[in-house]
Amino acid sequence: QLVFALHNLTRHVVYRGLTRAEDILCLFPENFHQNLKNLLTKIILENISAWRNEAQASQISLPRLVDMDWRVDIKTSSDSIARMAVPTCLLQLKIQEDAALCGNNPVVSALTVELSKETLDTMLEGLGRIRDQLSAVANK
Amino acid sequence: VSSQQFSALTEVLFRFLTEPKEVERFLTQLSDFATMNKISLGPLKNIVKSILLVPNGALKRNLSSEQVRADFIALGLSEEKASYFAEQWKVNSPTLARLAVGQTLMINQLIDMEWKFGVTAGSSELEKVGSIFLQLKLVIKKGSQLENVYVELTLPQFYSFLHEMERVKTSLESFS
Repeated sequence: QLVFALHNLTRHVVYRGLTRAEDILCLFPENFHQNLKNLLTKIILENISAWRNEAQASQISLPRLVDMDWRVDIKTSSDSIARMAVPTCLLQLKIQEDAALCGNNPVVSALTVELSKETLDTMLEGLGRIRDQLSAVANK
Repeated sequence: VSSQQFSALTEVLFRFLTEPKEVERFLTQLSDFATMNKISLGPLKNIVKSILLVPNGALKRNLSSEQVRADFIALGLSEEKASYFAEQWKVNSPTLARLAVGQTLMINQLIDMEWKFGVTAGSSELEKVGSIFLQLKLVIKKGSQLENVYVELTLPQFYSFLHEMERVKTSLESFS
C-alpha cells in the first residue's frame, strides 16, 4: 500500500510537471510528519527531470531512428554493360520499433536503402526545406 | 536489300533500341517496312532479331564502332552497310549506354520521401510536453513492390542526418 501511494504521488508530480518544492509540499495531507514530508519532497525534486526524460523516451511513437551509417560505392559493370563508373550511395538506418509495444526487448531492424545521385540531391532539397521550416517555427 | 532500304531499317532498329518501351511502334514500323518493300514479315523478323543481337552484345562487351563494323562484315553484310550501321552505333551508343546503366540492379531503391513535423502536446504520462518531432515516410522499391517505411527523428537526430547526407553528396560528387 505504501509503495502504491508513493508511486501515485511521483506519477502525479511528473504528470503535472511540478518543479517547485511548495507545489509538492501542498500535496501532502495536513497532519503529515514534517521531516518526512521535506525528505520526500527533496528526493522527488532530485529525480524529477530524470523521470520526465524517461517518460518522454518511452511514450508511444512511430518507429524511431536509432542509428545511421552510409557508404559510397562505384558500380563498374553489370550484366547489360561491360564498363561504367557510376557512384551510388548505400544508407543503413537502424530503426527501433515502438518502445511501448516491445517492453524490455526493443526490436531493432536495419534497413538498407540505395540512393542514386539524383535521388540524394532531391532528398537534400527536401531536408533543406525541413530545416528552413524548422527555423521559421523556432523564430516565431 | 538496297542501301536505302537498309538505312530505313537501321533507323527503325535504333529508334527501338533507344526507346525500348515502344514495342508496339517498332512492330508497326517493321510491318510497314515489309509491305513497302514487298518482303514477308516472318523472315524479316528473324533477320531483325539477329541484327539486334549485335548492338546488345556490343554494349555488354564495350565494343568500339570499328569492332561492330568488323562483326557485321564477318556476318556477311556488305562493307558499305556495315560502315553505315557502325556509324549509327557510334552516334547512338551514349544513349544506349545510359539506358543500360539505368537498368542496373539497385537494392531497395529509395523512390520518394514525405515528411511532417509537429509538436507533442501531451501524453498519458506527462500533461504538457511541447517537444518537436519529425516524421519521415520513405517509399522504397523492394524487388517489384513498393514499401512504406515510417521513421521518427528527434531534432538533434535530424540535424546530424542532414549533416551526414551533405557529406555523402560531397563524396558522390568527387567521384562523378
